[in-house]
Amino acid sequence: MRRTDELAVGAETAAVVGLPADGHPADAGTEDPPPPDPPRFWPLLLVAAAVLPGTALFLVGQGVSKAALQAWQTVCLAVIVQATPFLLLGTALSGAINAFVPERVFTRLLPRRPALAVPVAGVAGVVLPGCECASVPVANSLIGRGVTPAAAFAFLLSAPAINPVVLTATAIAFPGTPLMVLARLLASLVTAAVMGWLWLWLGREEWLRPAVRHTGHQPGHHRWTEFRRAFQHDFLQAGGFLVIGAMAAATFNVAVPRSVLDTFSGSPWLSVLFLAALAIILAVCSEADAFVASSLTGFSPTARLAFMVVGPMVDLKLIALQAGTFGRAFAARFSAATTVVAVLCSVLVGGVLL
Amino acid sequence: MRRPLQVTLLVLSGLGLLHASLFTDLCLRYVKPGMRPLLIASGFVLLVLGIVEAAARERRGDRDEQGRHGARTHGAGPHNPPEHTHGHEPHPRDDDGHGTGHHGHDHAAVPRVAWLLLLPALSLLFYAPPALGAYTAARQPAKVIAEQDGFDPLPKTSPLPITLTDFTTRVQQDRSLAIKARTVEMSGLVTPVPGGGSWDLTRIIISCCAADAQSVKVRVYSSSIPPANTWVSVTGNWHPGGKLGTRSAPVALDAQTVKRIQRPSNGYQDALPFPSR
Repeated sequence: MRRTDELAVGAETAAVVGLPADGHPADAGTEDPPPPDPPRFWPLLLVAAAVLPGTALFLVGQGVSKAALQAWQTVCLAVIVQATPFLLLGTALSGAINAFVPERVFTRLLPRRPALAVPVAGVAGVVLPGCECASVPVANSLIGRGVTPAAAFAFLLSAPAINPVVLTATAIAFPGTPLMVLARLLASLVTAAVMGWLWLWLGREEWLRPAVRHTGHQPGHHRWTEFRRAFQHDFLQAGGFLVIGAMAAATFNVAVPRSVLDTFSGSPWLSVLFLAALAIILAVCSEADAFVASSLTGFSPTARLAFMVVGPMVDLKLIALQAGTFGRAFAARFSAATTVVAVLCSVLVGGVLL
Repeated sequence: MRRPLQVTLLVLSGLGLLHASLFTDLCLRYVKPGMRPLLIASGFVLLVLGIVEAAARERRGDRDEQGRHGARTHGAGPHNPPEHTHGHEPHPRDDDGHGTGHHGHDHAAVPRVAWLLLLPALSLLFYAPPALGAYTAARQPAKVIAEQDGFDPLPKTSPLPITLTDFTTRVQQDRSLAIKARTVEMSGLVTPVPGGGSWDLTRIIISCCAADAQSVKVRVYSSSIPPANTWVSVTGNWHPGGKLGTRSAPVALDAQTVKRIQRPSNGYQDALPFPSR
C-alpha cells in the first residue's frame, strides 16, 4: 500500500536524520542498556559537529543546489516555529496535569469500563484548544495519571481535530458549506473512537515505552517546582523530536515537488489517497489546515475532508513526537493503523454528507 | 543532560524566538503575521523557564554536590525506569525547604535528542534562511483558481492595480472581457522559465506556514528578463491568445514597464501592488 510505504520511508528519514546529532538512535525501545555515563556522549557530539557540516557540503557538491538547501532550511524552520507555541501549551498542560490534578479525578470522570471510556475521552478532546503537538504530551501525562491507554489515545487523536478553535477555523475556511464542519467533527470522532477500541482489542502494553516519567505529585515536593520541571523536561524532549519531524517533512517537501504529486488529482479515489498522503507530508498545524484544504481547489470535498481528518492525527512531525514519547514500536503501528482508519472514516462520512 | 545545558537550550530557544518575532520581523518568512504574538509569548516563556532553572540551580549551591552527582548518573539516559531514587537521597530537604527535581527525579534526565533544538535556535539567531522564492515556485504548478460567478465592472484607474489571482480569474472566466485592452499593474517575484523570452511573475501564498506554500503565476513577456527572485512591479496588457474569458486564454502579460521594488512585508499574500509613483 502506497501510504504505508511512505510512512515507512518517513520513519527511516527521521531515524537517519536523528542519528548524527544523537550518536545512537534516539530511542532504542525497551531493551535499552543501562544509561551510559554522561562524559561518553561528548566525543559523539564532537564527531557530529565534525561530520554534519562535511556531509552538508558534500551534498551541496553533489548537485543539491543552494536554492534547494535554503528552501529546505526555510520549510524546516517554518514547521518548527509554527509548532513551538502549541508545543509549549501542550507541555505546560501536561506538566500541570502531572503536578496539580489528583489521580482520582480521572477515575471519577471516566467510565470504569474501558470500552465506554474510549468514546467519552474522544468527546473530551473538545476541551483542549491546541493543535496536534499539544495533545501528545497531554495524552502521555494522562496515561501517567492512571487513564487507560485506549482512552488516552482516543483523546490524543480527537483533541487536535474537534476543539472549538479548529472547528471555527474550518467554518471560516469553508464559508457556505457548514456540512464540512459537521463532517470533520464526525469523521474525526469516529476515527478516534475506532482507534481506541482497536487498541483495546489488539494493542499490547509492551509496544509502549515502559518508562512513564509522570509520577504525579510526590509528598514533600513543591507542586510548582514539580510543574516547572515536568514542563521543562517535556518541552525539551518533545522539541527535539519536533526538530526531527520537521527535518523529515522538509525533506519530503523539497525532494518531492508538488507537480509530481498533482498527477493523482484526476481520479476521485486516488485524490483521496493523495490528499491523505499530502497531509502526512506537509505536517501542517491542525489549527490552520482547514485553510490549506480550502485552498486545494480542484479536489473533491471528500478528498479535502480526508486531508483535514488525517492531518491532525498522522503527520511526519507527529510520528516523530509519538516515537519520542511512547516509543518507536508504538508510533509505527499506531500511525499506520490510524491512517487507514482515518481515510476509511472520511470516505464514509464524506460520501454520506458531502 | 546536565542542568547548565538545559538552561542554555531554553535561553537560546527563547532568545531565538524573540529575535525573530519581537526585535525583527524574520518570523514573517516562515509563518503568517497572526502567529507573531504567540511567538513573542513563547519566547518569553522559554526565557523565563531558563532563568528560573538557572536561579534554582544557583540557590541549591554546592551543598548538594553529592546528591546531584547521584541523580546525574541515574538520570543520564532517556529510558530510565520510573523507580528512581526518591527516599534514598542523602538530602531529604533543600535549603529553602522546597523539594527540587534533583532528588533523582526523572525530570532531571532530558534525552539527548533535545540537543537538536540548538539547530533552530542558532539558525534563528545567526542565520535565518530567506523566504521561499523562485526555486519553490518553479517546481509547483500554479494554484488552481476557484470559479467565480459574477464580475463587477473594473475601476476606471489606469494602470489598474490588480492581484495575480484576480488577473487570472478575469482572463480565464470573465465573459464580459473587461480586462481586454486595459493596462494593469501587478507586483511579485521573478521566477525564470526555461526557454527564455518570458518569465513568471509569481506570488507565493501560505495558508499556515511556509511548508504549505502554493504559488500563483502570470507569464510575462518583456524585452529583458530580470534576475530570479527579484521583486518587480509590472505594468502591461493581456498577452492575446486563445479565447479570452475561457480556459484557453493564456494567463500572460505583455509588459510595458518592469520596475524593481522592495519585497513587501506581506510577501506571502497575493496583495495589490503598492501605489507606484
